[in-house]
Amino acid sequence: MMTIVKWPGRILWRAFFWTDDRATWQYDLWVIAILAFVWLTPPAWLHDPTASGHGLVGWVLSLIR
Amino acid sequence: MTFTGAIGTVCMFPLRAIIALCVKLRIHPNVLTFTGVVINAMAAVALAVDRFPLAGGLMVLANIFDFIDGKVARERSIESAFGGFWDSVMDRFSDITLFIGLIYLYAELHRTDYVMIAAITMMFAVMTSYTRARAESLIPKCKVGFMERPERIVLFMIGAFTNRMAAVLLVIGVLSVVTVLDRIYFTWRELNRHPSPSTGAAGAPGAAGTLRPPRLASGR
Repeated sequence: MMTIVKWPGRILWRAFFWTDDRATWQYDLWVIAILAFVWLTPPAWLHDPTASGHGLVGWVLSLIR
Repeated sequence: MTFTGAIGTVCMFPLRAIIALCVKLRIHPNVLTFTGVVINAMAAVALAVDRFPLAGGLMVLANIFDFIDGKVARERSIESAFGGFWDSVMDRFSDITLFIGLIYLYAELHRTDYVMIAAITMMFAVMTSYTRARAESLIPKCKVGFMERPERIVLFMIGAFTNRMAAVLLVIGVLSVVTVLDRIYFTWRELNRHPSPSTGAAGAPGAAGTLRPPRLASGR
């Protein structure tokens, strides 16, 4: 039970206390997470002063509405 | 092969040709480094006037020079300690000029919030490099933390080309803070694990006397 509880902590520690090399699957995961944040977050949520368009999430939300 | 490894392999094809050309033309690597800084300064101006796609293109060009300088030095067997020092110093100029371009843009747009975000991100980007350089005067290696220079540069390009600079700044900022903390913790841990008389002298600058490779690894 304790092991299950400790898993998320270990994953977070491994992700943020970064000791892996580039071009590993762990690195790929980080890159995908970053690109998802950059491209999917609607610029309005971040009050982006220069961005145009709503981003992918904004576009999907506008379709739902 | 990983996704990022495949991208790196594809990008290396044209870069090898450019490296071979520079070696054939006997261009000095320090000149390549300086050219990269000048082009980066032009990219900063493009950022400052809100011409993001142009800035992205200039950043690609600048970083080709920045990437190949060490490789050209190695190919021509003219690696030197000064070359490594020059490269590191010019890298800091390149980094800071890009941030200054963004700070100018956000100031022109009267966006104090993003002026502060860009300034704090710039501080931690510089500290990322400094913590490693200082740590490696005390311990052999301090290559921890995700957000190093290549990641910053690629993110800047993505932000410029896709017009998502705010998100990119936030990512660089948060992960640079984490990287600096990683390096402080790692250095503290290493120094406590292997205390040595040379490193224990109140951390005097340059006290460690560690032999450094002639051309420092890039991507700090």
